[in-house]
Amino acid sequence: MDLFLQTLVSGFLKGGLYALIGMGMTLIMGVMGIINLAHGQIMMVGMYITYSLFALYGVDPYLSLFVSMPAIFVLGVTIQKYLLNPLLRAETILPENQVLMTVGVGMVLTEVMRFIFTSDYKSARTSYSNATFFLGEISFSVPLVIDLFIAIMMTVALFLFLVKTDTGKSIRATAQDKEAASLMGINAERITYITFGLGSALVAAAGTLLMPIFYLFPDIGGPFTRKAFVICVLGGLGSTVGAIFGGITLGLAEAFGATYVAMEFEDMIGLVMFILVLLFLPGGFKRITKI
Amino acid sequence: MRKLVTLLFMGFILAGSLALTSEQARAADPIKVGILLPITGKHAKFGEIEKLSFEMAVAEINKKGGVNGRLIKLIIEDTTGKPDVGRSAAEKLISQDKVVMLGGGYSSSVTAATAGVAINKGFPFLVNTGSADIITQPTAHTPSGKKAAKLKKSLKKEKDKAKIAKIKKEIAAFQARADKEVERILPRFSIFRLNPPVSEYASGLEGFLAEVVKPKTVAILHENSLFGTKGAASFEKSAKRLGIKVLLKEGYDAGAVDFKPLLAKVKSKNPDLVYMVSYILDASLLMNQSMELKMNPKLFAGAAAGFTLPEFKENAGKASEKVVSATLWHQSLPLPGAKEYFDKFRKKYNRDTEYHGAEAYSAAYVIADVLKRAKSHKAKDIRTALAQTDMMTVFGPVKFVSYKQMINQNKLETYVVQWIDGKLRMIWPKNLSKTHYVYPVDWLKERK
Repeated sequence: MDLFLQTLVSGFLKGGLYALIGMGMTLIMGVMGIINLAHGQIMMVGMYITYSLFALYGVDPYLSLFVSMPAIFVLGVTIQKYLLNPLLRAETILPENQVLMTVGVGMVLTEVMRFIFTSDYKSARTSYSNATFFLGEISFSVPLVIDLFIAIMMTVALFLFLVKTDTGKSIRATAQDKEAASLMGINAERITYITFGLGSALVAAAGTLLMPIFYLFPDIGGPFTRKAFVICVLGGLGSTVGAIFGGITLGLAEAFGATYVAMEFEDMIGLVMFILVLLFLPGGFKRITKI
Repeated sequence: MRKLVTLLFMGFILAGSLALTSEQARAADPIKVGILLPITGKHAKFGEIEKLSFEMAVAEINKKGGVNGRLIKLIIEDTTGKPDVGRSAAEKLISQDKVVMLGGGYSSSVTAATAGVAINKGFPFLVNTGSADIITQPTAHTPSGKKAAKLKKSLKKEKDKAKIAKIKKEIAAFQARADKEVERILPRFSIFRLNPPVSEYASGLEGFLAEVVKPKTVAILHENSLFGTKGAASFEKSAKRLGIKVLLKEGYDAGAVDFKPLLAKVKSKNPDLVYMVSYILDASLLMNQSMELKMNPKLFAGAAAGFTLPEFKENAGKASEKVVSATLWHQSLPLPGAKEYFDKFRKKYNRDTEYHGAEAYSAAYVIADVLKRAKSHKAKDIRTALAQTDMMTVFGPVKFVSYKQMINQNKLETYVVQWIDGKLRMIWPKNLSKTHYVYPVDWLKERK
């Protein structure tokens, strides 16, 4: 029973972080209708910001959220404004050029970081990196619990933003119907910048939260892009609530797979779920939740 | 007249260029040796310590006049820890840089791949770290040998008796063919290995386990790489020999965030010994997370690699304390120059070194010795000189012998180290160790 509960706790805590990663991607997908294949790489840049602040000035990784999120927001806006939107105007053969562009952006980000920081593995070990508390026999990692708490707060903030504010409503309107939104006087192009910036800032936050417990190297982005993609497909493309479900499902699936099947298949389990959902539940959890 | 001047002029140029390529001019050129190491990427820390040691040794050799009056120049090529990059790096060193031999070779997967390039060309390659047994087994490098190995793997999962018999027949056929194919490779088999193969990494540890710890059960965790799976498989055999029951043997993909489900499973089985075959960052995460789960087996033991680097202690912090690991070398060993090498390294680079560094340092001296003895610097003569090597290095005696299907393999003892108060101390074999082992260990108390 302890083993079961421990697996449940580990999976759920990891799932919280996954949800945050997936939410950023699904937001971008909803508004722009494109898959951002540089998502993990943008997270990696956010992690390097956190790492640099920690290594140079001793800034606590959690405090550096206030730097990494705005910085990556600006990076996201820049990418959308100067790299992705101009492609829409160009007459192209492939409508998927924006997606191809994100692949290129991801590669450039990886190589730039490799140039600056080399490929060495970096880590930010804090005094609480390995702190734990116990409920009965079940171990809870303190940084992961804090991460989950922050992830929940961010999710709530994001929902309030999308539901209550003018800009938030505009984002939702643009996601539902871009042309109609434009006709209603929404500056759709401005909305795309904001959305890409917001999605990037969210994944940067996830990266920053991961920093105290994990390590960092330039190629770390790829696997996380893949995970984000799996999460979005599980949850339903463009669905924010779906991303939360998708993230937690993936976290739990990986944990239970590691305990009851074998850890060797950790990545495979996620991808098998991905294929099963595509085959039997195209549209993901969105089909069930309808949000 | 004009024609004559032109002719004379051309004659001068020709004479000049001939003089430049003459033997004398070439003798002043340094001898180029190619070194394959992971300078960047996930194995960069191992590559760094070996690179520094190689450079230190070559600087010393050149200061003393080099090899037969010529200096040695190392061309270090980055494999980034990936087999495909390693292959092209080896190709580049051989055909473009025109090095006379290859050295280095970190991580089993990369070394096995690059060894293939060297064997095809009959090009001498002195491996000093890549440890999977197959690297110096000629049959493993033949096409049929590779197929036989693949079939053997599938045999393990097969349960149907008729099928097993069929597969066994196929394996025998492939092996017979491999034995024939190997005859073509054998005369120019060019891989020599300074370090012991992974199947012997735990030989020193076996003694410690049998006489001191006496565990009844073990859980083996390993990375899903060539080094990891081979290391785990050979320790499983060791466990059988020692009468230790293997409760669990499981692999993981490098780069996992959360090992807790796996470790919780290990904890629930309550083994006496947890044996891990891991590179550095996974080693640190495994130890850290085992601490978070309050695991308390009799002993945590590592299979060298990630568990002896100074960075292991930095990343795992107090979770590294009292962890035991197999090792191939320690500065306190009664080997000529071992302590001096350790002190010199520390003085020069202001950091500690360990067995990976010693391997590289010794390899540089072996390379210098071989180049000195070789009749010429053609691949064939260097191979002959390598085969005749018989010298003492800081890493131990170097002499290439054949055993267990391996050829050109140096045979050495392995030892056991323990992290005691933040220092890596040698604790086994007892007669060679200055520090007494700390056992039994209460891991919960240790990490408060």
